[in-house]
Amino acid sequence: MKKGYVLSRLLRSLISLLIIIVIVFILLFTLIPRDNIFFDDPTFRKLGGKPDEKTNYIYTTWEKLGYLDYVTISDYCVALYGQADPRVEAAIEPGSVESVQFREEYEKNGYTVAEFTNKKLYAFKDIPIAKRLLTWFGNLIQIDTPWAVQDPNNPDLERYIKFGTTPTGGLALIGSGTVHKYLIYTDSIFPFIHQNIITLNLGKSYPTFQGFEVLDVIFQSQGEEVKREVTFETGYTAESAIIFGTLTYKYNPDVMDRNKFVDNYANYQTRKNQPSMVGTSFIMGIIAMVLSYLVGLPMGVAMAKNKDKLVDKLGMIYIIFIIAVPSLAYIYLFRYIGTALFALPSVFTVYGSGDIRSWILPAISLALPSISGLMLWMRRYVVDQMNSDYVKFAKAKGLNKNEIFSKHIFKNAIIPIAHGIPTSLAVCITGAIITEAVYSVGGMGKMLPDSINKYNNSMIVALVFMFAGISVLAVFIGDIILTKVDPRISLSEKAGRS
Amino acid sequence: MAEKNIILSAKDIEVKFRVRKNYLTAIRNVSLDLYEGETFAIVGESGSGKSVFTKTFTGMLESNGRVTNGSIMFHDVDLVQLKSDKDWEGIRGAKISTVFQDPMTSLNPIKTIGSQIVEVIEKHQKISKQEAKEQAISMMARVGIPNAADRFDEYPFQYSGGMRQRIVIAIALSCHPEILICDEPTTALDVTIQAQIIKLIKDLQKELGFTTIYITHDLGVVAKVADRVGVMYGGQIIEYGTVEEIFYDPKHPYTWALLSSLPQLGVKGEDLYYINGTPPSLFNRIIGDSFAPRNPHALKIDFAKEPPFFRVSDTHYAKTWLLDPRAPSLEKPEVIQDLHEKIEKMTGKGGAFYVDEQ
Amino acid sequence: MINFLKKHMFDKYRLDKDFGKNPEETVSPEEEVAVNEDELFCQAEFDEKKSEIIAAPRYSYWKSVWKTFVGSKMNIAVSILVIFIVAFSFIYPSFSNYDPMDAPYINDASRKYLAPSAEHIFGTDDIGNEVFDVVWEGARNSLIVSLAATAIDMIVGIIVGAIWGFSKKMDKWMIEIYNVISNVPFLLIAMILSYILGNGFGPLIFTMTVTDWIFVAYFIRTQVMIIRDREYNLASKCLGTSTWTMVTKNILPYLISVIMTYISRQVPALISYEVFLSYMGLGLGMQYASLGRTISNYTSYMRGYPHLFWIPVSILAIISISLYIVGQKLADAADPRTHR
Repeated sequence: MKKGYVLSRLLRSLISLLIIIVIVFILLFTLIPRDNIFFDDPTFRKLGGKPDEKTNYIYTTWEKLGYLDYVTISDYCVALYGQADPRVEAAIEPGSVESVQFREEYEKNGYTVAEFTNKKLYAFKDIPIAKRLLTWFGNLIQIDTPWAVQDPNNPDLERYIKFGTTPTGGLALIGSGTVHKYLIYTDSIFPFIHQNIITLNLGKSYPTFQGFEVLDVIFQSQGEEVKREVTFETGYTAESAIIFGTLTYKYNPDVMDRNKFVDNYANYQTRKNQPSMVGTSFIMGIIAMVLSYLVGLPMGVAMAKNKDKLVDKLGMIYIIFIIAVPSLAYIYLFRYIGTALFALPSVFTVYGSGDIRSWILPAISLALPSISGLMLWMRRYVVDQMNSDYVKFAKAKGLNKNEIFSKHIFKNAIIPIAHGIPTSLAVCITGAIITEAVYSVGGMGKMLPDSINKYNNSMIVALVFMFAGISVLAVFIGDIILTKVDPRISLSEKAGRS
Repeated sequence: MAEKNIILSAKDIEVKFRVRKNYLTAIRNVSLDLYEGETFAIVGESGSGKSVFTKTFTGMLESNGRVTNGSIMFHDVDLVQLKSDKDWEGIRGAKISTVFQDPMTSLNPIKTIGSQIVEVIEKHQKISKQEAKEQAISMMARVGIPNAADRFDEYPFQYSGGMRQRIVIAIALSCHPEILICDEPTTALDVTIQAQIIKLIKDLQKELGFTTIYITHDLGVVAKVADRVGVMYGGQIIEYGTVEEIFYDPKHPYTWALLSSLPQLGVKGEDLYYINGTPPSLFNRIIGDSFAPRNPHALKIDFAKEPPFFRVSDTHYAKTWLLDPRAPSLEKPEVIQDLHEKIEKMTGKGGAFYVDEQ
Repeated sequence: MINFLKKHMFDKYRLDKDFGKNPEETVSPEEEVAVNEDELFCQAEFDEKKSEIIAAPRYSYWKSVWKTFVGSKMNIAVSILVIFIVAFSFIYPSFSNYDPMDAPYINDASRKYLAPSAEHIFGTDDIGNEVFDVVWEGARNSLIVSLAATAIDMIVGIIVGAIWGFSKKMDKWMIEIYNVISNVPFLLIAMILSYILGNGFGPLIFTMTVTDWIFVAYFIRTQVMIIRDREYNLASKCLGTSTWTMVTKNILPYLISVIMTYISRQVPALISYEVFLSYMGLGLGMQYASLGRTISNYTSYMRGYPHLFWIPVSILAIISISLYIVGQKLADAADPRTHR
């Protein structure tokens, strides 16, 4: 495996990722009218009778989501004279000198200047999609530094990074002036060492999960808070579900915050009793994946070994069933069997994630189609290998059928299967739309369709970015695995063929 | 061939294959006695049943094929009666080994050369891993792999075609078999490598004393390696004898034709000799002499009745009506009439095709 | 006796003539010969041309395909079933007067959720409609959509795939395009297209095929690449055969059975896809019935009124499985290796 090849391969992956995001941006921001994002916004609906506030809300939201630049006459005047200057009051009135200036200046810069019903002015200008893309990629990777926070209300903010401990006793790299208080910290939760220095910024969720970072939406635990007795740095003791490692800078801390914390780091996430969306889907996916490999591979081998005999025919009937019957139907059928015969819960939420019974039916339902796929492929690979010359020679060497299978055929047949394992893993993260819906599992499956239905564009972009990134990475890892299990292939040789 | 101990004796072997709903008879009542230590060559064109016949000695017929008649006695065991892998244990790969045509595909591509040799030693001999490895390395050295110990852990794709065939031979011989079946072992190799491999097999045979069955369609190779030759056509041996008898006194018209088509006998500027027509379809019941439709010398009886074996000498038999006293006397074709002199001219040696037998 | 022999045995080409007859039926002449054996020891005439005749039956590809296919009773039975289902689902709806936008019995409680009976063959649904009408109307529409989408996928996919497999220059680009397209979630494309184009047959078929063809093309490309470098094609290329002739004469015919196999999976897959899209609310639209929407609407009745769930699912499964089997069997029959 040559370094140069790996690099060019990674570069190509990054370029495809970039193109995917460009395509999604174009689809989302040019084909779908921007008005649609308000369809499911409750705040917007409440503003029905107040046209000016409504207009202001619309433009503010659009600006927040990066559609356009939006300036009102008051913003302009405040910038001109300062926040509390008495001149502002008069300057924002229609017909003022500033209004004329405002119109001239912004029209010259290509803005559209319009009036509220009360004749006050505002201006907006669409941001070209190329610029939006650049901004998106520019903000993608955030690196936390002691100069990250600039709070005019807190000029005395110290700026440092030092070693210390978290209130729960873990080691930590503590920052001040940084966004996160604990840049690196250890605790008892997998993977035990966590870092906040480099974070991905995929934007804020809107209109669903309003105000949350999209990554937090899918990665934070769900359900009810798990509270325990906590002593804060101030000595204040309370029942709380706080995760200290997640503390971030809060610009306007309130009295309660002052009670708990000695500094401005008062935003935190809480521990809840259900795994996150990604976690739920991933756990379910892993169970299903292990199950399908455990069942599918031996079944495929058995079918190949007994080609055209009963086992093969039964296996084929199963495969045809899965191909021909829509998943919706067989998942419902399977759920019916599971609940009627084995008294398993029909929906995930009956016992929740803590109970093994909740996972059984969804995981098996999810495994059904992949078992069929693995059976079909494994059968095919084994049959192919069985006809090869080295198997004939192995027989001539005096090895018996089982030895030939275990020492020769299986190892060859498993190569293409091993190549696909990282991709199967990656698919676990994307979640299963129908299975999760049928069993009411709080996983990732519903996120994409919901986000598209609710026009949660930043969520869509984030999901596509995540899924595509993981799948590109998975194919790459698959290729590396291939070089490990098949001595004939080295990645550099493979470059020409793909 | 001083002593004539029969090591393997096949009697009236008939092999049928089931293809869809039809049966084809690939081997029709073939008998053969194999003497210890000899090299017996089986020649014939593609589809004459050479490989199928020898596959019955190791139970390697394809799953749709079956020996439907006859017996193969090997050390008081009738190989035809052996069915399962277990029955074959101790014989296939241990006492009777095979070297196949294509060394490129005979080895498992993802296992090291060493492990593939060790595997067969461990299978047939009760010895430790370390001993097996030592044996394997010495066997590799014996078949002419330089730096055998270093190349033990390499993969087949790191070996050239000739080297791979040496490994295949090493594997086949690693348990000191009594019979080695070489199924066209040099067909897939370069001409220069061919001679090396042929010489290797001959040298090893001298050293280890096994019996060789050599399947080939290359008469040049036959002349180089064989003690005795059997000519196969249409699923039967139609003539057999010592290599000299077959080359210098062939009796069957098919053998004539086969020898006439030796490219070495071609005259510059003239077309090479070739045999007209195509081999018989094995789906049909063959009546009379199976070569008759392609035989310019065919007698009418060749189309009516299958000829028996006629004795030419103690070692030489041919299955043709031409040897019947009632048959008109026919001379063998002109090209091969003075084959002896021609070959002498070609090789510059006393009539021997044999390669340098230092 | 001699005449008999002359007539029958001295015809040296009897092997050819007798081919196909049961060997047991041909008269074995050996015993009779014995008496006159001596007379037979004379030279027979030799005809070079006749010895060239290959003792095998004449072979015609399409005839063999047909023969292999109709050779199995099951193939014929399943084919008849397919023809019947397709014909019925196209003919029946024009007599049933079913209109998905109309619910004439919606206020008639006595007509709702009736189990199958002589009067209501498949029972009635939640708004009192005949399930029989709903299902067949839906079957027709689902068949139209999936067959049309399969046809488009295959035509575009095969053309692009054949060129893609042949051109190394194109391969470099197409692989990247493939990587990109296969990573854009199809659901996103489907939802956006359904938003832009609205519902209906055209938009749905377009949505189903807009990216799907590239998977067909990729499959064909791989197959073409496998055969492209086989010896007979290299030989053909050396003899100066044009690329176009190579593709159409040497490669595509070889692919017929592989393509049939693919189609036999593609049709059921697209029917399932239609069910999925309907479940996501992206199907044909309210004005058209479809099996997909029928099934996703009725799943909730699986316990209470099982016929509402099982009947459409069974009909869909029968359609899919029989189409799949016919496709697979046609693929088997199209594979020259099965011709004997």
